[in-house]
Amino acid sequence: MINVEHLTKSFGKNEVLRDISTTVDRGEVVAVIGPSGSGKSTFLRCLNLLETPTSGRIVVDGVDLTDRRTNITQFRQRIGMVFQHFHLFPHMTVMENLIFAPTRVKGMSRDEAHAKGLQLLERVGLKHKADDYPSKLSGGQKQRVAIARSLAMDPDVMLFDEPTSALDPEMVKEVLAVIRDLGSSGMTMLIVTHEMKFAREAADTIYFLDGGKLLERSSPADFFAQPQTERAARFLEQVL
Amino acid sequence: MNVRAFKRFALPIACFLLLACALFAPVPGTAEAAGEKTITMGTSPDYPPYENVDAAGSGDIVGLDVDIAKYIAGKLGYELKFAPSDFDGLIAALQTKRVDFVMSAMSVTEERKQSVDFSDIYYNATNTIVSLKDKSLGTLDELKGKRVGVQLGSTQEKVTDELKDATILRLNKIPDLIQALKANRIDAVIVEDAVAAGYAGANEDLKFSMIPPSGEGEGYAIAFPKGSELREEFNGVLAQMKEDGTLQKMVDQWFGTEASSGDSGGVFHFERLGKYMGYIFRGVYVTLLFTLVSAAFGFVWGSVLSLFKISKIAPLRWFSTVYTSIFRGTPLLLQLALIYYAIPQLFHYNIPALLAAGLAFGLNSAAYLSETIRGGILAVDKGQREAALALGIPYRTMMVSIIMPQAIKNILPALVNECVALVKESSLVSVIGVADLMRRASVVQANTFMAFEPLIVVGAIYYALVLVLTSLARLLERRMRRSD
Repeated sequence: MINVEHLTKSFGKNEVLRDISTTVDRGEVVAVIGPSGSGKSTFLRCLNLLETPTSGRIVVDGVDLTDRRTNITQFRQRIGMVFQHFHLFPHMTVMENLIFAPTRVKGMSRDEAHAKGLQLLERVGLKHKADDYPSKLSGGQKQRVAIARSLAMDPDVMLFDEPTSALDPEMVKEVLAVIRDLGSSGMTMLIVTHEMKFAREAADTIYFLDGGKLLERSSPADFFAQPQTERAARFLEQVL
Repeated sequence: MNVRAFKRFALPIACFLLLACALFAPVPGTAEAAGEKTITMGTSPDYPPYENVDAAGSGDIVGLDVDIAKYIAGKLGYELKFAPSDFDGLIAALQTKRVDFVMSAMSVTEERKQSVDFSDIYYNATNTIVSLKDKSLGTLDELKGKRVGVQLGSTQEKVTDELKDATILRLNKIPDLIQALKANRIDAVIVEDAVAAGYAGANEDLKFSMIPPSGEGEGYAIAFPKGSELREEFNGVLAQMKEDGTLQKMVDQWFGTEASSGDSGGVFHFERLGKYMGYIFRGVYVTLLFTLVSAAFGFVWGSVLSLFKISKIAPLRWFSTVYTSIFRGTPLLLQLALIYYAIPQLFHYNIPALLAAGLAFGLNSAAYLSETIRGGILAVDKGQREAALALGIPYRTMMVSIIMPQAIKNILPALVNECVALVKESSLVSVIGVADLMRRASVVQANTFMAFEPLIVVGAIYYALVLVLTSLARLLERRMRRSD
């Protein structure tokens, strides 16, 4: 479903991603791990062109996102993204956050969007918070709303950029549960995370990045039992 | 610049062009109304009994000059319109053909003849010295070494030029001179007889004495643009009026019924303003309308400019930077005068004073606001923009519905400051004759021959307006903060 071909990205002289090529299948759950500064987040942000690749191609469902003729604004509606710091719209209530893009961008009716919003809030366990402002929510609740907001656009792919890194430890679980549930429902997902236990349990594939290179790409069982590279072995030693 | 980037700005630019067209488009009916030919008279209606606003009554401009002009226009078959402005601006109004003629107790001088044509003289005034009763300065000789006030640009300046050793104070308005006299900042004021009689009548502590005419008198005449064909037509009617006594009858009528309510002691006489309060309060509407229009225009245009400033397209950035630099770097009063006088010449559109003022203030305010708004936009968390992009929200929707509301919340106190400043700066528009609060104060000053009281009243009104405005802003702020 997603084809990445020879992706590189430089900020000035600093080469952040070096020649990354990979394929993600429909329904596949990928956990992207690696030491900080390895380019994980940049890799993810290239997939919906929040960062413009320096070279290489990204093809999603046969559409080349790096082609200048592609209407990227429209295509982003099919790629949901969840950020480390949630980025809920603070001047809107939870429900308004959820229905803004569907009604204003997709032209969905308010009633329909509202009904769908309630459904999604129920799914993330926050139906009772629909009319609250984000400032009233805990970090975990905010992140669950942010996930619901992305899902409201009916995306084909979900990107998670360190979704639990800004959360207090006791809130990590509730968010991971939502993401796990989403994965088992067949959503195609890429998750940048430091939660090794979660990666091992929930992912179909582990990507290990270091120094801007995709060093390893294997099943969690293989990766955690026998990392192929010395760098990955050292990394696992430090985090496990 | 790619097509997407262009599209982002196409709409704001189109909006601005539309707005510009709307502002400059000739308003039907102002230029040449069908049927009767109209002529416009420029006058400075703060000089009773020649011309002043009937503030206690109809609000029309009345006076000797007005009656003469109406009579002549009637005889010649014109419909008469008035364009009030400050006395200083009258010659400029003639030269830029904003008006067809000027009647404003304007005396014939060699200097003025360089710029305009004059009709025959229709009235001769006598210069007088006004002073406090206890000083009683009666002759030019007694003014030696004294402080003497005179109206800037008036023919009485010629009298003061010949005074030896005297310190001369030149002010724009006669009420200000009278106030200076009463405050003992000057010893005497030189004005013409009809004006002196008015002030002496209304202020018990003042007296006046005539200065014997020295050769040529103070002859008042009608001024026309150079080479105007109206001059001969007007002269014809004037000659007839002098012959059949119509002119003398008008003079007697206006100079005989001199309003003098008499001074009843005490310092202030607010009670005499009673019948003018309605007139003054109607100025609140003008001031508020003007503030609203220029604030709204300034905000919209300032927002567009701020988007230019953070745009990826270099020429847009350059444009807004140069724009801001020019409008912040030159005085607002100058911009106002340029817009008011230059637009008719450049675009052949006789821009109404209120519109010119709204435009000038809006353009100026936009320059300041664009910086404020830019700061507000940059202060919004970068993540907001990314979240919107990731949801596939187009640039304009994102700016209008997501970034701007947060930016405005941040800069609300600065926006309120700008609005408050606009309310008070709006008093500048009185120089081009917009009947705002400040101008109405001048009119009432002229009508009542009182210098101080009208100013205090409008000062209180301005203060009340600003108080109301800031309370409203506080309500708005509380509403916007409910999401915190």
